[in-house]
Amino acid sequence: MQGKSATVRPLLSVVDDDEMLRESLPDLLREVGFEARAFSSGHEFLSSEYLDETKCLILDVAMPGMSGLDLQEELKRRGQTIPIIFITGQKDEDIRKRGLRQGAVKFLYKPFSDNALLDAINEVLEHGGSEGQGHKRDAR
Amino acid sequence: MRAVPFENEQRVLGKDGGYRWFLVRYNPLLDERGRIDRWYVAATDIDDRKRAEAELKQTNLLLTASQRLSKTGSTITDLLADVHIWSEEVFRICDFDPTTKVTVQRFREIIHPDDRPLFEAALGRGMTGADVDFLYRIVTPRGAVKHVRGIARVMEHVAGRPLFIGALQDVTESKIAEEALNKARSELAHVARITTLNALTASIAHEINQPLASLITNASICLRRLNADPPNVDGARETVMRTIRDGNRASEVITRLRALYSKKEFAPEPLDLNEATREVIALSLSDLQRNRVILRSELADGLPLVTGDRIQLQEVILNLVRNASDAMGSVEDRPRELLIRTELESTDSVRLSVKDAGLGFAGEVADKLFQAFYTTKKDGMGIGLHVSQSIIEAHHGRLWATANEGPGATFSFAIPCRLEGLEDIQTRSDRTGAA
Repeated sequence: MQGKSATVRPLLSVVDDDEMLRESLPDLLREVGFEARAFSSGHEFLSSEYLDETKCLILDVAMPGMSGLDLQEELKRRGQTIPIIFITGQKDEDIRKRGLRQGAVKFLYKPFSDNALLDAINEVLEHGGSEGQGHKRDAR
Repeated sequence: MRAVPFENEQRVLGKDGGYRWFLVRYNPLLDERGRIDRWYVAATDIDDRKRAEAELKQTNLLLTASQRLSKTGSTITDLLADVHIWSEEVFRICDFDPTTKVTVQRFREIIHPDDRPLFEAALGRGMTGADVDFLYRIVTPRGAVKHVRGIARVMEHVAGRPLFIGALQDVTESKIAEEALNKARSELAHVARITTLNALTASIAHEINQPLASLITNASICLRRLNADPPNVDGARETVMRTIRDGNRASEVITRLRALYSKKEFAPEPLDLNEATREVIALSLSDLQRNRVILRSELADGLPLVTGDRIQLQEVILNLVRNASDAMGSVEDRPRELLIRTELESTDSVRLSVKDAGLGFAGEVADKLFQAFYTTKKDGMGIGLHVSQSIIEAHHGRLWATANEGPGATFSFAIPCRLEGLEDIQTRSDRTGAA
């Protein structure tokens, strides 16, 4: 990890209704040096204390109740500019276009490789306005 | 006025104020010089006759009009004497000149060549006294192809010869509409299948991608932990366990999906085999006619109800009928007769057989017929008879084939009637299972 040890590790929030992914994704993110939290629904994320701190949102599309796109709209309505990386199990071109049009940075299709996710996160953090910190890809 | 007798039909005012028709005859009586001396007048009340004539004329008009509207003509036929009385509409349908002398031969000439065997078979049936009702095609002298429905039954006997009363109806329009409907239906079914398939694929993909995503994520974590300096073996171990769990979840998804989209369960109910057979016949009729197959059915009266899965049994009957029709595909030198029979097999079981006049099968092949993937058809998949046999066996029945005395083969199945029969066998197997 570059930068001073006093630097706060960026918080990445994962919103996905799949329990196993809520378990594994944050673990992966922590493994590469991020702070990570997981939420089971858009509502849970919106009402949490981590909303403002989140540097990047990794968001599932197909969720019961409030979908990923719904959450994106709601955040926009609230004036929140958290960069969003969508993850989804369904290849739907319309949804992809809509998400990107509404300002998402990236659309990843499950199952995605860890490098694809990390590249997307790096892109967000480097160009997303913050003092970007590149995070190590594994040496493969 | 000339001095000749004449007559007039005229209306005469009666005492009651109403007019009646009279036939009035005038006869002059001449004197020696040839001049009219007086007139003798005789009046006959013909009002009833006149009224009857008017009614007859009107009836005739209505009949002709209705025949033309319904495109149905009526016929009276003395087949043996080759005498035919046709209404106007029959001439019109056949596009014959109304002055044509109608004979069987003349009519034969306009029957569509592919339907000639059908027609001859119908004639034969009619001669035995059976009612005739069948569809065939004619080609008018001007070349128009028309679908017609011919109906005939014996009206009475004259000098020992049967006299048939019948009708010929032009059903071309409805035949074309029916074919268009069938085509639209099968296209719709195809689209529905594809749509379902797409939806199915999408839902399967979605279900499987979830466990796969976390599986890959966990494996990646594992690798990183092992590559760490020093390697985080405990952490790696934990992720490996999670990976296995995710893999199991994926296979559970498959199992669940398989169960969801598999065949419907076996659903037996009491059913009338004759009725089920008639439905299959109705379904296959146009295909059979197209293949020039003459279908006869001998469905036993008073057949007891059987216990079975209606749809599955109908699938079997349809399979046998289709096979029989295909078996006669190359037969040219004899009528392509297909006979469906139902009868009592024993006191508590029922048999259905399908007999064809096709190529038959050689003895050596007899036991291979029901094997999976056995087929003699160029593009056959060979699952028809095998699946049919499993269905019949599930009904605690048996399916077998015998070569005919003449050309062709007969495929038959027999299934037990009463529910008790099925229950008995199940109880027996439960007992032996527990033993």
